[in-house]
Amino acid sequence: MSATEADVSGLLEEAVKSGLSRIAEASDLASLGQARAAVLGRKAALARARSALGGFDAEQRRELGRRANEARARLEGALEERERAFRAVEEKKRWEQERLDVTLPGDEPDLGGLHPLTKTIWEIVDIFVGLGYRVADGPEVELASYNFDALNFDSQHPSRSEQETYYIDDEREVLLRTHTSPVQMRVMEASKPPVYVVCPGRTYRRDVLDPTHLNSFAQIEGLAVDEGITMSDLKGTLQAFARELFGRDLDIRLRPHFFPFTEPSAEMDVLCFVCRGSGCRVCRQEGWIEILGCGMVNVPLLEWAGYDTERYTGFAFGLGAERVAALAHGVPDIRYFYENDLRFLSAFEGGMA
Amino acid sequence: MRASLRWLSELVDIDVSVDKLVELLNFSGTKVEAVHSIGAEVSGVVVAEVAAVTAHPNADNLSLVEVTGADGSHRVVCGATNFAVGDRVPFAAVGARLPGMSIGRRKIRGEPSEGMLCSAAELQISDDHLGILILPPEAELGTDVVSLLGLDDNILELEITPNRPDCMGMVGLAREISALLGHELKWPAQPEPRAASLTPAVTVEITDPQGCPRYVARYLEEVSIGPSPLWLASRLVAHGMRPISNIVDVTNYVMLETGQPLHAFDADTIVERRIVVRRAGEGETVVTLDGVERTLERPDLVIADPSGAIAIAGIMGGAATEVSETTGAVILESACFERASVSRTGRRLFLRTEASVRFERGSDPQMAPVAAARAAALIAKLAGGRVADEPVDAQPQPLEPRRATLRPARTDHLLGIEVAPEAQEKHLRSLGFEVSSSGSELEVTIPSWRQDVASEVDLIEEVGRLEGFDRLPATLPAGVRGGLEPEQSVLRELARALSSCGLHEAWTPTFMGAGALDALGVSKEDPVRDAVQLVNPMNEDERRLRTTLLPGLLGSCARNLAHGAPGAALFELARVYRPGADVLPDEPATLAAVFCGRRSAATWRKGEVVWDFYATKGVLDAALKFLRLGPLAYVAAGGMPFHPTRVASVSVGSEGIGIVGELHPEVCKRFEVAEQSLAFELDLTPMLASLPDRPKVAELPRFPPIYMDLAFVVDSSVPQATLRRAIADSGRPEVTSVELFDLYEGEQVMQGKKSLAYALELRSRDRTLTDEEAAAVRARIVSTVAERTGGELRS
Ligand SMILES: [Zn+2]
Repeated sequence: MSATEADVSGLLEEAVKSGLSRIAEASDLASLGQARAAVLGRKAALARARSALGGFDAEQRRELGRRANEARARLEGALEERERAFRAVEEKKRWEQERLDVTLPGDEPDLGGLHPLTKTIWEIVDIFVGLGYRVADGPEVELASYNFDALNFDSQHPSRSEQETYYIDDEREVLLRTHTSPVQMRVMEASKPPVYVVCPGRTYRRDVLDPTHLNSFAQIEGLAVDEGITMSDLKGTLQAFARELFGRDLDIRLRPHFFPFTEPSAEMDVLCFVCRGSGCRVCRQEGWIEILGCGMVNVPLLEWAGYDTERYTGFAFGLGAERVAALAHGVPDIRYFYENDLRFLSAFEGGMA
Repeated sequence: MRASLRWLSELVDIDVSVDKLVELLNFSGTKVEAVHSIGAEVSGVVVAEVAAVTAHPNADNLSLVEVTGADGSHRVVCGATNFAVGDRVPFAAVGARLPGMSIGRRKIRGEPSEGMLCSAAELQISDDHLGILILPPEAELGTDVVSLLGLDDNILELEITPNRPDCMGMVGLAREISALLGHELKWPAQPEPRAASLTPAVTVEITDPQGCPRYVARYLEEVSIGPSPLWLASRLVAHGMRPISNIVDVTNYVMLETGQPLHAFDADTIVERRIVVRRAGEGETVVTLDGVERTLERPDLVIADPSGAIAIAGIMGGAATEVSETTGAVILESACFERASVSRTGRRLFLRTEASVRFERGSDPQMAPVAAARAAALIAKLAGGRVADEPVDAQPQPLEPRRATLRPARTDHLLGIEVAPEAQEKHLRSLGFEVSSSGSELEVTIPSWRQDVASEVDLIEEVGRLEGFDRLPATLPAGVRGGLEPEQSVLRELARALSSCGLHEAWTPTFMGAGALDALGVSKEDPVRDAVQLVNPMNEDERRLRTTLLPGLLGSCARNLAHGAPGAALFELARVYRPGADVLPDEPATLAAVFCGRRSAATWRKGEVVWDFYATKGVLDAALKFLRLGPLAYVAAGGMPFHPTRVASVSVGSEGIGIVGELHPEVCKRFEVAEQSLAFELDLTPMLASLPDRPKVAELPRFPPIYMDLAFVVDSSVPQATLRRAIADSGRPEVTSVELFDLYEGEQVMQGKKSLAYALELRSRDRTLTDEEAAAVRARIVSTVAERTGGELRS
């Protein structure tokens, strides 16, 4: 007995109905797999309905085939939807199992740090490197002839006394340099203009230690000798430097002063970066902060170096690294720089100045 | 240097505010450090007379003073003792105000005190707080002390640079102000002395014209010594000097006014009235005004009479020739002394006086006769007496006027702005320079008071500072190719690498004492004992320049541990100083580090880690690897300050560069750092002299490697490095990597033996190695290891 069209329709309806309920019964991915085999497998109602199609004519077969495909699509859709739901639950379970307390501390490598004087010196040197300077170096144990004579200090200048300068020999020919200025002389002695150098280094003066005095301190010297260098160039250079270091919109001013090795000589003040001129504790109510001494290289120095003093002019400046670092970081006592207390040093960990 | 604004106003019209004047001075080179408007903070202080002084019943160092004022008498408790009954003193009555205090009724040690007697310091007219300020006897009772002493004035506290002796006097300062304001300088009014045709019979002989280029003496007689009038005394007090007597006060007043130091001798104490300026004899002595006997040396310049030295030239007069109450005739000295000589002698004797401070800067030879005449006239006016109308003026070499040429274009060239030649001329004239034009140049005659000016650039500086540096634009010069030298970059990278390894950079002192070397336990022959030494250290612990960075670092570590830090790892990159063949010592760049205690705290993931030998060595290797320096070779070494069996010498190539190890327990104890602290110290010079080239990269290997683990059992005494080298040498060329991954000593191996296991990587550039080839390499290694170390493959 061959099946009627109604039989096949019934079969398909039954396949969908029983199939959907079978799928709905599945409780996890595994039972859903079994359900898939049961509803789409070779022995399933759907397969049986399909196998009955052979007995119909072409038109009926086409119509029943379309309905059989529809039934299959419905079942596959239901399977897919269930599978997605089961996968979502499973994934959620896994994520819960793998949950971390992200607020627990991370494994930090031990962080050391550079000394604030080193950072300050590098920062200043880099500003001048950017302005076209090289970096020069000289001995700390120096000849009096470079430390004083060549720099136009007169023979009775108080700095030469044994109260102020550390001497190595009784003849007072060898000493601990009292400033980085002798490096200027060594650079000029060894090279022809143009000369653009900064010279950082340790210097020494006999002094009793207190919150503002050290017997050893770091200085940075700058020297530019070239054709046509003017005092306006000195001012522009120091302004560029001060703005890099203390703040882009800060002005500087030069006040006439006296140093044996420069003429004209000046002291440079920068507008207080805290109060911007109105007066505060940092600038001692002055509105301006004295930063360094400077001037045009005095003619006897250029002559000493054998330079043509009509053709070449130059400027020089010198500043104390401790003072700049103390200002920049609000350090209350400059002895901190040489005590290496980790509570102090740790403030300077990491790369930033 | 203090300067009364009121006094300056007598010498030049000051028609600007105090603030404006301060600004003008600041920007012309005379820095105003402070302005004291002293009188403003004082009120209710009046003149009173001391009526009685009795002891305080409860305190030995206090007394009860009865003073009489215009309004009756008051009793105060006072700590000073420099006054007597009858003295007139400043009395701050109840209700008076002084800087930082107001006066009320108080009890001091049980005795009531109705006010206070004031010192000069309390009135802010000088630093003298030791005694009560004694007022002149003619000061009227009840007069307000502020107006009496002219305290309603502004005192400028000035920084005078050493090149400007002329500004050590009111006239010089007034001249600066006159140039800044464009007003005339008014010379002080000169009272007409009662000149007399006396025969002074004073002679002056200068035996050393270099030491004393000019000596002016004025003779006065029939003077009566007494106190100065108030106007004079208060002016001295306002400038920080103590009034003494009319004669002495005039010499000080004229010094303040003109900058020329003066001295008054009692003419009757000078043998034959013969003054000789000469160098001292070796060991010659003189008792100075302060009562101290001074022993002189050969180069000291003295004023002498035929009996011997009577004063130290330019520094201090002698007690024997001092003006006293009985003085009737006076010789006034107004001289010029060599700067160098005054400064040398003053320094040697630790004597700095108002006079020596001025002579050290250099005095104006033309001012000497002017100041002498001025002082003589003032003395004649204030102390009576007659002045010999002719001064004695010894000047072995008459002064030639000094000249210099200024090219106005050179000013513009140096300053970078244009200043019209007429303006340049005007600036110089305003300061007292005489100027005449010749073509495009200015011929300038330098005034005698400007010993600091000699050359064209000195004149440019004068023009520049009066023109004002605020006129200069901000321009930049060309510069060159800026940059760091390779070794400078490497030192920076090294510091960064070490700080990335958890170390903090330290800066420790350059100075070192012998005690630090003793604490390190180094032998007498150790090269670190050979140090550059200072002639004049501040103390014995700072006599030497360091030959090692370790004591400084150990000191810093100890300080941190003492503050409760659980550990410290500090490094320093600095110079040490080694005496060499040259006059100047070697200053090799040196790296050292000290490691103490805890490296890192326990966390929730791992336990606490402490610094040990291998951690330290790892830091050193990593830092140098970072710079592509090395590899370093380590050989067991010995010697203080290290643990005898936990120290290695470090070399790169064939050159020894330093040492790394655990510190000797005794050394740790002496420096007060944790036991088992560690250190390394390297001389960086050899490395900096041969920096590595840029890294070169070959084609990457295309054939897969073979990995092989080999464990050898060797005698415990065999250094790991020896075994590793045997493997690496015999494994070449196939073996491309040898890494130690296990060290075992224990039951599994025989007593006195150890097992070392290595992971090897073998590869060839041109083919995949076969198992047979790998086996051949292995056999080669095994036999070489056996041969060199006696080691056997562990089965
Ligand atoms: Zn400020």
